[in-house]
Amino acid sequence: MSRPSKLTPLKTIGHPTARIDAVERVTGKATYTGDVHLPGMLYARVLRSPHAHARIRQIDASKALALAGVKFVLTHENCSVVWGAGSISGGRQYVDDIKKITRHKRYLFNNPVRFFGEPVAAVAATNRHLAEEAVRLINVDYEVLPFVLDQEAALRPESVKIWPEGNLSPTAKNEMEPEVYRRGNVEEGFRTADFVFEDRYTTTYVHNAQMEPRLCVAGWEGDKLTLYTPTQGTSNCRHDMARDLGIPDEKVRVICKYMGGGFGNKNQNQDADLIAAVLAKETGAPVKLELSRKEDFIGVHGRWPTTQYYKVGVSRDGVLQALQLRGYSGMGPYRKNTGGIGGIELYQCPNVESVTYPVYTNRAVSGNYRAPEFPQGFFGIESMMDDVAYKMKMDPVEFVLKNMTRKSDDEVPYTNYTLEECIRRGAEAFEWKKRWHPPGADPGPIKRGVGMAFMALRSPTGQSSAVIRLDSNGRYTVFVGVTDIGAGAKTTMALIAAEALGVPLSNIEIVWGDTDRCPYSVGESGSRTTDMTGYAVIEAAHDLKRQIAAKGLPKGDNVLIASASPNPTSEGKVRKAFGAHFVEVEVDTELGRVRVLKYLAVQDSGRILNPLTATSQVKGGATQGIGMALHEDLLYDRQTGQPLTTGYYGTRIMTHLDAPEIEVIFIESDDGYGPFGAKCIGEAGIVHAVAAVGNAVFNAIGRRMKDLPITRDKILGALV
Amino acid sequence: MSKRKHDISRRQFLEGSGAVLVAATAGPKLSAQLSSSIQPETGGATREVPSTAIRLVVNGTEHRLEVEDRWTLAEVLRDHLGLTGTKIGCNRGECGACTVLLDGKPVYSCSNLAVWADGREVRTVEGLAHGDQLDPLQRAFVEHDGPQCGFCTSGQLMSARGLLTRNPHPTAREVRAAMTGNICRCSNYNRYVEAVLAASSTRDAKTSDRGAGRSTAPGRRGAKASARAGGA
Repeated sequence: MSRPSKLTPLKTIGHPTARIDAVERVTGKATYTGDVHLPGMLYARVLRSPHAHARIRQIDASKALALAGVKFVLTHENCSVVWGAGSISGGRQYVDDIKKITRHKRYLFNNPVRFFGEPVAAVAATNRHLAEEAVRLINVDYEVLPFVLDQEAALRPESVKIWPEGNLSPTAKNEMEPEVYRRGNVEEGFRTADFVFEDRYTTTYVHNAQMEPRLCVAGWEGDKLTLYTPTQGTSNCRHDMARDLGIPDEKVRVICKYMGGGFGNKNQNQDADLIAAVLAKETGAPVKLELSRKEDFIGVHGRWPTTQYYKVGVSRDGVLQALQLRGYSGMGPYRKNTGGIGGIELYQCPNVESVTYPVYTNRAVSGNYRAPEFPQGFFGIESMMDDVAYKMKMDPVEFVLKNMTRKSDDEVPYTNYTLEECIRRGAEAFEWKKRWHPPGADPGPIKRGVGMAFMALRSPTGQSSAVIRLDSNGRYTVFVGVTDIGAGAKTTMALIAAEALGVPLSNIEIVWGDTDRCPYSVGESGSRTTDMTGYAVIEAAHDLKRQIAAKGLPKGDNVLIASASPNPTSEGKVRKAFGAHFVEVEVDTELGRVRVLKYLAVQDSGRILNPLTATSQVKGGATQGIGMALHEDLLYDRQTGQPLTTGYYGTRIMTHLDAPEIEVIFIESDDGYGPFGAKCIGEAGIVHAVAAVGNAVFNAIGRRMKDLPITRDKILGALV
Repeated sequence: MSKRKHDISRRQFLEGSGAVLVAATAGPKLSAQLSSSIQPETGGATREVPSTAIRLVVNGTEHRLEVEDRWTLAEVLRDHLGLTGTKIGCNRGECGACTVLLDGKPVYSCSNLAVWADGREVRTVEGLAHGDQLDPLQRAFVEHDGPQCGFCTSGQLMSARGLLTRNPHPTAREVRAAMTGNICRCSNYNRYVEAVLAASSTRDAKTSDRGAGRSTAPGRRGAKASARAGGA
């Protein structure tokens, strides 16, 4: 990693710093949800639908209930709790009002069941083996219904209707309309363009596959629920639980100290949390509900698969004139997120139209996975543009430099702009001109090729809170509602506090991951924690310094307490992080195998607060992107609607042997917003990685791979 | 998930894939000390659950336990010995988060029944450090930012420990090959390899493997083959 920086150096911020909790993590002392054991705790298991679509005629749980030690069985017949975050019109997950109006409510147990793996019943028993056995003893009589797996096919008139209104998921206003964005006039643009290109790209359902499967421990004391659960947002989870259970927010306490990753899989509350809470209420005992790896793959969510049709108009000199996307996103039978397809915004173009159809299918539900709508959209559009550059006989990098975004929607200025610098520096460090050759020109049989993709990714400012307490021993205790998904939020908050307070890092203690002890935090999603909660820590530190100046340092038993709940804006400008990835691959044209030989990520995420952890984030994102590009897929059997690759082996998650060395260059900047100028980073590593790999494969073999993942069979098929 | 009648239990599965090998080699006899415990519940059908008395040496401490035959080693370590540093990521031998050293060799503890470990030495992440003195691998993992979410870290550490014990100065390629059975979805693979190489360059890279035995009796290999972590 290298860091050319013109920024004024800071004392604590900006130096490679080991995580403040690293020792806990390497000694096994860090406490994850699964490590929580409460006295008298019961174990719960879920029975899931073995059909992609079926009506339940009857459930007979008598044999299960007859087993000694089985305490309760929940089904749709005795539980009507609605999981508000599980299906929302428009996919606007944080908006309560939309959850109220949504027509397609998702209950904890639904009838009909609409995907393979949908919960049918849940059992609480005295141990997990007994719960598993009890689940096997529940008899369900299903009327099997026709199903549809493909998002385009689901919109055809002859398709089975998953919901009475049809398979187009409604907007936030409950209207059955696609999501539309327009500027200029695309028809006019295509008329005046010298060349028009059209193509179709598809991406598949890729699972988050975080190491820790979903689980939770729920217990009631009187009318108050305590929930231990791996959630990326304790505040949001608490609010969701309270709303879904019909109790006030303060009657729910959510605790999440350490969590085994999530990548969006653990936003808000999960049905597992509600099922455990209801079972705990019914049985009067704490309940631990653990999902198996397979259940996590099919019962939570992954990245939505897409079908993308592009039409691109260019002038003779290679300047974009018109850009059109018609996209279909497969949401599964419930709308957990928007189903948007990002990427149009990457280009400067006078005439743009994007029409996206979020579609219900009988696949596993889609939702957040690291930059929810971007890697699939960036793959489509950056492959398309790479192809346009090829057909226009232009160097792909030159084409990008000519057509990339310079203002948001060609109109609103960015808070700062380093995209061109990222691309030029990357091309130079990668020796792009030396490595690039005409597509397919390498004689082979093992052919090398290079590819490039770039990104501009939202890095918003917004509301969060922090409290700092100073005691007479000089301990600064920072209370923040963050969880630590793995990006290092605790360490980042401590670094920010130490810098803002002007004290050593060792004087800072972080209290986190507990809604009864910590104020609201936005949660570890959307790459927002550093920006938003970090900014709140700075504001609280300023407040504390003012108090110290006015009252002096606390003595004896006295303490000073400072707090802040800022909601900063970027004052009408748009804040984005920028970056470019350059990759070299070799393709074995006899075996179809792709290997990444060299990978360079150039990243502007503003000021880098901790180069050690920031580099890890970029490396991890890029590596996940390579997996998505080359092999990850949740395959379905088209005859039965059953998922086939519901684990690490089947879905081919990247391993030690697959992972190449990722070189990271940070271009640092300070746009005057965010904590010390920091911008988003967690999602920034993955968004363009997929397209970069795809473009490199094209350069190697001279065949455009339009359908993810780019597996051996597809490469061999293309080379025939 | 489908729960059809023909679904097999963990015990049946594990026995199908490994128990034959156990019986054929020097592993503990499953029939030895076989006893039964009845679920202590009343008011419903009761089930007999076969259980066995075993002896485990975990991180140098001897434990005599009555374990249900269906319990995995991971389950016994976590739920019955309170050693929750060993994580369960997939519970089916795919991810390596549960890797421990069994007689000095890395195995997936989710894919070994506890009864198979009778009389053997187990080393978990809790047994790596010597008091406050971290193992060189643990120090290197801290310095090189090995753990992101940290859930796979114990397994990565134990696989790496197994590697350095048999090969104190591996190449990067050897590290990747030895640890490829340990998935890290944060994909911090570069960091883990860096850290293991850094630890391997320290003077005490190999000698830190105190306590747990390093018996590699050839007769036991078969029993572990179905559940080996890494070793590509």
